[in-house]
Amino acid sequence: MAIRVFIADDHPMTRAGLVAALKREPDFEIVGEASDGIEAWRIIGTTVPDVALIDIRMPGEDGVGLARRVKESGLPVSTLMLTSYDAQQYVMASLRAGAKGYLLKTASPEELAKAIRTVAKGGIYLDSEVSRVFEGQEIVPETLSNREREVLILTSKGLSSKETAARLFISERTVQTHLASVYDKLGARNKTEAMLLALKYGVMTLEELLE
Amino acid sequence: MKRRLLTVLALAILLPSVSILLAAGVGIYQHRQAIRVVARTYVQDLAESTASRVEMGWGLTESLFTAKPPSRFWGNRFFSQEVGIPGWIAVLDAQGRVVMSTPGAQILSELWRPQMPIGQAVEARNRAGEAFTVAAYPAGDTGLFVMAAVSWKELLGPMLRFGLLLLLLVGLVGMAGLVGVYLLWKTVISPLKSLEAEISSLEWGKDLPRPRDEAAVTEIGRLREEFFHLAQTAIDRSILWKRYALDLVRVQEEERARLARELHDGPLQDVTAMIQRARLFAASGVAEPGRSVHLGLLEEAAQAAVREIRALCDELSPPWLELGLSGALTELAERLSRHLGLRILVEADSGIGEGLSREKVLALFRVAQEAIHNSWRHGGAREVFIRLFMEEGSLVLELEDRGNGFDLPADLARLRLQGHRGLANMEERMALVGGELVIQSRPGQGTRVTARVPVP
Repeated sequence: MAIRVFIADDHPMTRAGLVAALKREPDFEIVGEASDGIEAWRIIGTTVPDVALIDIRMPGEDGVGLARRVKESGLPVSTLMLTSYDAQQYVMASLRAGAKGYLLKTASPEELAKAIRTVAKGGIYLDSEVSRVFEGQEIVPETLSNREREVLILTSKGLSSKETAARLFISERTVQTHLASVYDKLGARNKTEAMLLALKYGVMTLEELLE
Repeated sequence: MKRRLLTVLALAILLPSVSILLAAGVGIYQHRQAIRVVARTYVQDLAESTASRVEMGWGLTESLFTAKPPSRFWGNRFFSQEVGIPGWIAVLDAQGRVVMSTPGAQILSELWRPQMPIGQAVEARNRAGEAFTVAAYPAGDTGLFVMAAVSWKELLGPMLRFGLLLLLLVGLVGMAGLVGVYLLWKTVISPLKSLEAEISSLEWGKDLPRPRDEAAVTEIGRLREEFFHLAQTAIDRSILWKRYALDLVRVQEEERARLARELHDGPLQDVTAMIQRARLFAASGVAEPGRSVHLGLLEEAAQAAVREIRALCDELSPPWLELGLSGALTELAERLSRHLGLRILVEADSGIGEGLSREKVLALFRVAQEAIHNSWRHGGAREVFIRLFMEEGSLVLELEDRGNGFDLPADLARLRLQGHRGLANMEERMALVGGELVIQSRPGQGTRVTARVPVP
């Protein structure tokens, strides 16, 4: 059964390049293309693809907004964000908006195909160039305690230490201590890396992040 | 002389006035004493000589007792011919009744005192309180007395009046002089002083002096008006200058954002498409094995171009600013902490800064960027703490380090004059979005930068 793919990108040449790459894969079926966010939303609604490749920067509605719209609509569509940008906060924003993956437009055709297959099966795919932290780091992370996991999840949702502390009825200092321990166990240098690594190692699931 | 002008002026008026008053007073007193002596001698002599004549020549004749003395009474002749001093002579009996007198001599009976010393002039006052010098002398053994008197008022009157008038005039001149000095102080010296005080304490380009001084003389009033206009112009100029600076920042940011957008939407996408095509071509297996090396090099060059264009975009105006303040600051913090080797912590409550205008996000972002660089470059800080929170309807961005700190100049504009634009730039950026910037620092105490923008 073919994976039905939809592509939204406002740049015609990149869109054409993506289409050409996807056509090489026999198990992909391109069900639609759009050059802005509003048109994209309309086509997603009518075609309900398995995977929607969405450019983050688009006229009309941007990719993050569109991903959120798809998630909130409850449509069985996995969104995979595409961008020319290597900003990790784009990844954070996309994942928080419900996107299943994040890929640079300069990724190879093989990578693109792999990403689409991964998210179509319900997994998450994070571009290794964006998440440079992954490179050459195939460690097995130490197990996080429940409290550490809770702190990590709340922090990943965008809560401040103060808010996390209030939510868990612990002190701000304790939250920071837990975070430091999480960074240490995952080999992360900051919140974003911690979240990306936790998703990668399966310490935290996308569902937990979106709850 | 310069400082004590008023004292000198007052003394210049007072000293002559007072000395004239004193000298004239002493003169008048001495004159009075002299006249007193003359008047005494005079009435004494008059009384004595008249008495001897009465004793010798006239005796107690009938005619002397008549109520109407002969018209050619010697007394009249005596007065009219020999002296002009106003006075009276009368012959009295032992009971003090007037036997014979010059006209108007009734006054003498008022001056008569029973215990009056004989042959000696005394001062006496009549009922009206006027002063007289009186002398009585017995006319031999006839039992009669001769009494003579002169009136002080008549004798000294004009002299005394003019003397006192003179003193009064001198006094008035002195007073007028003092009033003049007072007016000089009130309308010239004091307004000049207050004008001078205002000028010296005025912050040029910020404060205005009082536009008018009602108490001042016209010339000083004009001077003040001119000064007011100058200060007004300075304020206008500083406003204009500020607006100009803000326009510069705004235009620059707009231009940078436009360039970044152009780069992103144009070259970046084109090169990306090139890479895609190169990869597709390589994957198609059409290229001869020997040529695929070149294809690989082409792709590498294109990847390098993508990275450079991205870096250029980030330098100009990062597209990820659109992620909102919290996301943009986190991205900035993570990037700078990698590049500078700093530990940067961002603490932001969830949802803070949502819906904040792009201008405000950009302004706060630039402040953070500058402040982090300052902490690293000048403060030698190892850690920077960034906090984002709401306070009294304002969004507050606080950056704190425990670096070296520095002595903060009172006026950031002064730093700009010395070529340090950073702090002044931060202040201008906040002003541009209606916010404010506070920098707290002390050597050895670290630095805290607080940026505040009103949130609608």
